[in-house]
Amino acid sequence: MNPKNKIQPLIFVLPAFVVYMLTVIFPILWSMGYSLFSWNGINDMKFVGLDNYVRMFTDKTFLGAVVNNLKFVLLGSVFQLTVGLFLAILLSHITKGGNLLRVIYFIPCIISSMAICQVFSKMLSAQPQGLVCYLMEKMGMEPFALLANSRTALITITLIDGYKYCGLYMIIFYSAFVSISKDVLEASIVDGCNLLQQYRYIKLPLIKNIFSIVVVMLVNGCLKTFDVFYILDNKSASTEMVATYMYKTAFNAVDFGYGSTLAVFLVVECLAAVFAVQKCLGSAKGDEAE
Amino acid sequence: MIRSKKNIVLRIIFYAVILVFVVVQIYPIFWVVCSSLKTPDEMRYTAQYALPSGFYPGNYISAFTISSIPRYFINSTVVAVLTLIGIVLLGCPVAFVISKVRIKHADALMGFFLFGMMIPIFACLIPMFQIYNALGLRNTYWALVIPQVGFGLPMCIYLYTGFFKFMPDSLLEAAVIDGAGMGTVFGKIVLPMAKNTTMTVLTYNFVFVWNEFTYANTFISSSDMKTLPVGLNDFVGLFGRVDWGSTFAAIVISILPTLIVYFILNKNIIEGMAAGAVKS
Repeated sequence: MNPKNKIQPLIFVLPAFVVYMLTVIFPILWSMGYSLFSWNGINDMKFVGLDNYVRMFTDKTFLGAVVNNLKFVLLGSVFQLTVGLFLAILLSHITKGGNLLRVIYFIPCIISSMAICQVFSKMLSAQPQGLVCYLMEKMGMEPFALLANSRTALITITLIDGYKYCGLYMIIFYSAFVSISKDVLEASIVDGCNLLQQYRYIKLPLIKNIFSIVVVMLVNGCLKTFDVFYILDNKSASTEMVATYMYKTAFNAVDFGYGSTLAVFLVVECLAAVFAVQKCLGSAKGDEAE
Repeated sequence: MIRSKKNIVLRIIFYAVILVFVVVQIYPIFWVVCSSLKTPDEMRYTAQYALPSGFYPGNYISAFTISSIPRYFINSTVVAVLTLIGIVLLGCPVAFVISKVRIKHADALMGFFLFGMMIPIFACLIPMFQIYNALGLRNTYWALVIPQVGFGLPMCIYLYTGFFKFMPDSLLEAAVIDGAGMGTVFGKIVLPMAKNTTMTVLTYNFVFVWNEFTYANTFISSSDMKTLPVGLNDFVGLFGRVDWGSTFAAIVISILPTLIVYFILNKNIIEGMAAGAVKS
């Protein structure tokens, strides 16, 4: 429809625009500005140019956090993608009660990370003894706290995070499988396709762009992961992520200047990763067109 | 299909695998609920996986009395209600203008709002902290409502435009010919028709707002204003080592609202999650 005058649409858009500018756009620019200053929130801001960025690339804790984060991106993405896809395949073969199962599999996704973390930290606790340590002892193993041990902490948190989010990817894959046209599948059965071949040659290729979307989401989500690692923090360097390090620098060490530098790095990292993944998977799509 | 023996074995394996996943997904929650109903003695002397012998409400009573959980509950509810109202009130008109009103640069406006989906909230945390500190908004509900409305808008606008695409233009044109203005069309026709989408936006955002941790942990320091996730963290910090029973009860109390909303409206939540995911 045509608006009566120019002002009317403006009235509709303006409030949201203002809030969005104030909460999303300005703060990003502001962060970029802060990253050039040395500032602890109380004293005067001191312009230091790119010193913060130089400091970042020589900061051992930060570099360690980047490495940890990349490990987490790799492990977490593979785990969540596999489990999500597997669950979706299971669900799409169920005839009765599929809806109920979908609801059940999705439950961890809607529970707060705080509650999930507390549940698992109790389960995995060694002193007082939690469920997992109890079972370890019963099975004749030496019980130890998986979360406190710097060698097992990262992988344990990866599993907890995967537990929370794999339902999301299940739903996405499931909706993709359901939307595949029945005709194509029937034609393939007539041609003598067995179940495995169906997946290999028909279903998976057909949902290829859902794959690239999921990979983008996974990489992006894992790069900026925060809650689970922050809450289950065991005060060791082995589980430090870029976001948790940024948060601690800014709000525990009250170093706003350097904290902003880390925040800017996080944004650039996320945008670059999304771009890179899309570029890779996008070229794959181009091959198909040939 | 041919019902051979091999087929039956496959079927059994198939259902067994499904069952295993059901147990894995549900067991941690089941375990917390069970543990929260155990008496202190049971907690100490029986196995961790044992079922509670009866319905023991003591942990819930103590969780409610020794901590400010009722207070956290109220705070969470107020923040959730204000945020949800804000998101729909601001987001829906924008989506309407973008998809149904002929204006210049509608695509650019859409892109501008969708850009917000890619931004990690950490990029905005420090400046927000400064702003709220300067304006005296820290430790108020607004410090939690405003950023969540801002970051909730992209998703809300995306979901609404997805629905408006399928709304026939002729319907709106007919109303305009009958003399309705933009406000009337929006209020009398568009909003009522979009009821289902509104439900999706509300439930989807409710889950996020109720579970939100980062803003609450950053902008709220007074214990009177804390929301459930942060309050739960404090509770565990204070009593987590000594009083597991109450801790479990507190966890159950904090997840119960989302579970209830989820079981009633799971269709909307799942739909919102799937749609939102496929965009970003």
